[in-house]
Order: sequence, then C-alpha cells, then structure tokens
Amino acid sequence: MQLYSPLSTTPKRKAFRAPPLASIDGLRIGILENGKLNAEEMLNEVAALFVERNGCVVRTLASKSNASAPAPGNTLVKVAQEVDFLITGLGD
Amino acid sequence: MAALAPRIHEAPDDLLAAIDFCYEQGWTDGLPVVPPAIDRVKAMLAADSRPPETVISHHPATGLDLSLHAAAVNAVMAGCLPEYFPVLVAAFEAMDRPDFNFHGSTASTGGSAPLLVVSGPYADAIGMNSDVNLFGPGNRPNATIGRAVRLILRNVFQMLPGISDKSTQGNPGKYSFCIAERSRGNPWPLLCEAQGYAKGVSSVTAYAGGGFCNVENHGGNTPEQVLSSVADTMANYGCITLGQTVVILAPEHMKIVGDAGWTRERAQDFLFSQAKRSIEGMKGVGKYRDREYDKQHGEGAHALAEVGFVHRGLRPDDILITMGGGDAGGHSCFIPSWSRGRGSIMQHAPIALPPDNKRS
Repeated sequence: MQLYSPLSTTPKRKAFRAPPLASIDGLRIGILENGKLNAEEMLNEVAALFVERNGCVVRTLASKSNASAPAPGNTLVKVAQEVDFLITGLGD
Repeated sequence: MAALAPRIHEAPDDLLAAIDFCYEQGWTDGLPVVPPAIDRVKAMLAADSRPPETVISHHPATGLDLSLHAAAVNAVMAGCLPEYFPVLVAAFEAMDRPDFNFHGSTASTGGSAPLLVVSGPYADAIGMNSDVNLFGPGNRPNATIGRAVRLILRNVFQMLPGISDKSTQGNPGKYSFCIAERSRGNPWPLLCEAQGYAKGVSSVTAYAGGGFCNVENHGGNTPEQVLSSVADTMANYGCITLGQTVVILAPEHMKIVGDAGWTRERAQDFLFSQAKRSIEGMKGVGKYRDREYDKQHGEGAHALAEVGFVHRGLRPDDILITMGGGDAGGHSCFIPSWSRGRGSIMQHAPIALPPDNKRS
C-alpha cells in the first residue's frame, strides 16, 4: 500500500546563529520584554548584572504587545541599530 | 522557496499493519488513523478546485506551510469524507490571519484548542451535529473535521506535545473541537449572516478555546436570570481575562431569551456589563494588573466598562453567542479564551462549495 506523508512539503529553513561577541565589556544593552507579569522586572535585574560586572550601558527597553507573537520586524530593526546585544526572555 | 513533492511511503498492504505503520511514523494523535492511501487523498483533493500545492496556511514560528495536499492527507487520516474538506480548508484560511496568532495559541502553556463553529446551510448539507450531545461523540463530520485540525497541527506544523506544544494540561478539545450552529428554532440571525456573508454562504469561525465550562440553570425563567448565570461563569476568578468569549446557549435557555425579545446585541451588552470583578477582588487573588485595567478603561473604552471593575473582554462584541445542543436541559456553556490578554482574536472565513456543487 502506498501512503502519502502527512508532513509539510516546505523545505527546511536554514537557521544561523549570530556570531559571538568578542567581549561584552562596555557594550550597549537592549531589553525586549514580552509584557508578561514580572518580565520587565526580571530582565532589568539581569541587565543590572551586566552593568555592574561589565560596565555595560542599558540603552533600550522595547516591549511586545503580544507575549506569544514574534516581535514586530520594525521593533527588531530599531533595536538592532541602537544596541550591541539584546536580553529577552519569558516572564510570568 | 519551492515546495518539495509530497513523499510517498511504502506501507504493508494489510490494513491493520498499515495502521501500525502510521503509529510507527509518529503520525497519530494517539488514536488509530485511516492510512492515507493515494486514491483517498486524491478524492479529498477533488473537493477543492485549486492546485494541490496551493498554500492555505503558514506557521510563523516554524516557517512551515500547509498546502491543500497536506491538508487532504491529514483529513483522510482523521476519517473525513471529501465533502467535509471545504470546512477544514476554510478553518485554516481563517486561522492563517495574524490576529489569530497561530503559533502562540498552539504552543502556549495555556493549552488551547481551535474551536470551530460552522454556521449556515453547509453544516446541514454534510450532516453536522448542532443538536443533542453537541460537544460529545457520535457525529462523523464534527468529530473528524476537528480531529483533522489536530493532526495538521501535529504533522504539518510540528506542534508536538512536550516539545513545541507546551500545554500545561491541555484540554479534551485538543482531540477534536468542532460544532455546528443550530439553526432550528434559533431566533437570531445565524452567525454567517451576522458576519456579513451573502445568503446561502456558510462560514466557519475559529476560536482558540481554553476549555469548556458548563452553565447549569434549570430555575431561571427570565433572560436576566439565565444570562446572569452565564456572566458569572465568564467572570470566575479562574477564567476572567481581557480575552474574547464564546457562549453556546442551550435551546431551553435561548427560548427564554428569545421569547422575551432580546436580540443578540442586547444579550452581548448584558453579559459584558455583568461579567466583571472588582479591582479589590482581582487584587485579592493576585490577578490584577494596572496595564490590563488601563487597556479596558483608557482611551476608547466601551461605555459599559464600569470604573473600578475589570470586565471580561474589551467590549460586548467580543462575545460570540449562539445556540446549540438538544431540546432538553438547562445546560449552556462558556468557552474561555486562550491567554490572559488578547493573544488570539477569533476569525471567520467563508466555506467554498466543492466543484461539483452537490452540497449547496
């Protein structure tokens, strides 16, 4: 018996990791919070550690209006121009 | 990027062995599936006039597409007949809209399942159940269309339990969650009419449903009594959010509401104004957030949003109400939305008749 596969026929996407930073000392930090309870508080605490330990500067706090949807493209483009690395994560 | 050709597997000719083969491939929802033999898939595809490679839905996080072909394969596996296929296709066309938030509603710990509400003559034409045991088993189109949704989420979009589907508890609707709106004895315009479709055009509404809450009231004899029971369920501390609402009124309850001359809009206003909790109460259970209150009471707030209270939803038309179920029993239901906020907004789409137009 011949059966069709029920899987998607979309070719697999190629995913790339950003190259690692040589050093984080003194770099500009962005924070992307997802709007969930405690997200902003938790991410600020994490950023504060980078400020304290590595002399980083917090430059941007961006928010998502929908925690479970991808960040809007224009948000990411704007943040990418202003910071060297971005901290994000789930809050709840 | 061009789609790959659908893959064909050589499976045992013995039917039971072929079912086992499908299990071994990881293609099932835990229940046996109909092996998607080529002739059955082609018969399913004949219910849509477009080329099989037509993409009807896209998963934003995985980048995976749902083609008509893949939808047909999973529809066969779920046990659908070809005449059910237009409903399934319309459902995914509706869920493909960004506001439905396909990824979030299928991946979240919230554990929602897409509830499909089929409205209009096509539901009757294919024998859907809008009557007794509405959400229960026993009707082939209701059961298999809903099941096909789950199989597509699993097989095509790879929303795999524990891996990409992180539902804390899930809900039974994740096996199948599909009903028809009852037209017999319904005093209100059908949903497809209220949604603005032309006469004779049926629709499917997709809603990320977070479960099922029975609303029992056998003693209420006025719209206010019946709908107050519904509103209280909508606003229980476990369920109240800024999200949308689906209410399916039992015929007994609908008769009380309809005989009193209440329109759908009046019922929506009543439910919105009554389904609320005080700020103090919300604080008491740890669910109050300034941000959410401000969203409901800030600029553009609905006139029925009462100061000092958190209502369910943002406005009355966030509440979909219609009728379904058997004649006997004061049992309506409230289907809570997925997510605490406005993570998914219900969507509807017209059902295209099959090319042979036998089911119009």
